[in-house]
Amino acid sequence: MLIRSETLFTELGTQAIESGLADTTLSTFYETVMAQDTDGNFQQRLKPFMPQLSLCSDKMINGAPPPIFYVGQDSCQRSLFGEDWASPESPVSPLRTPDPDLELASAEGYRNALNGKPYYGYARVQVDVNGIGYEVAFERLILTVRPSLKSTTRFCAFFGVIQDLQRTF
Amino acid sequence: MQQFFQKGLKNYVPEHVQPSVSDHSELKSSIDAANLTDMWDMILTLDYGVSGVEDLPYEKRDEFLNVMSLLLKAFDK
Repeated sequence: MLIRSETLFTELGTQAIESGLADTTLSTFYETVMAQDTDGNFQQRLKPFMPQLSLCSDKMINGAPPPIFYVGQDSCQRSLFGEDWASPESPVSPLRTPDPDLELASAEGYRNALNGKPYYGYARVQVDVNGIGYEVAFERLILTVRPSLKSTTRFCAFFGVIQDLQRTF
Repeated sequence: MQQFFQKGLKNYVPEHVQPSVSDHSELKSSIDAANLTDMWDMILTLDYGVSGVEDLPYEKRDEFLNVMSLLLKAFDK
C-alpha cells in the first residue's frame, strides 16, 4: 500500500460542523455526543450511529494512532479496506490502518481528541488497496467518548464520510 | 414422529459451522480484569441487541467475541 505526496490532511475545526458545512449524519452524531447527558441514556442515543463508527482505544504508543477494535458494518473504513481487514476471523493483533504512512498522518486527529478537543477535518489521499490504486477524499470526526457517565474507560470514536473515491491507473 | 424430528433438529448446529470460540468465559474474565466490562456490555447491547452472549446466534457469537478479543488487545498496556 502506497501513499504518494498528494496526501493532504486539513483540520477544519468543529465550528465548520456548527456552521452546517459537514455531512448531515456526521453533524447529527456530533450534536448527539456533545449534548449534555441529562437522562443518563447516552448509549441509546449512540445506538443509531454504531454501524458508521470505528472505535479505538485511548492508547497512543510511539505517536501512532490508537489501535482499532470495532469497525461498524457501514463504516467508511470497512468500505475502503474490506471485510477481511475489518472483521478478521482469528485476530492476533489489534487493527491498524493498513498503510503505515496513512496511519502516521492521521495521528494528529486522535491526539487532539484525546486531549479533549474533538477533531473534524478533511483528507485526500492516494492508497493502493489489494493492488488497486484509489484516490479517496473523506471528512472525518474523531471524538473521545465514555461508555457511561461513571465509566473510567474512554475510547475514540471515528466517524468518516467518503466524499469521493476514484480509481487511479 | 416427523414433528419430533423437526423439533429436535431445530436447535441442532452442525459441527462444521459451530464457532471456534465457543467458550467465552476466559475472554470475559480477561475483559473484566482489564476494566473493560462497560465496553463489552455497550457493544453487545447497542450493536448486537442482546444482553447476554448466550442470546446470540452462533455466527454472531463468534463475530462478537472476535471484536472483544480486539478490544482487549487495543487496550493492552
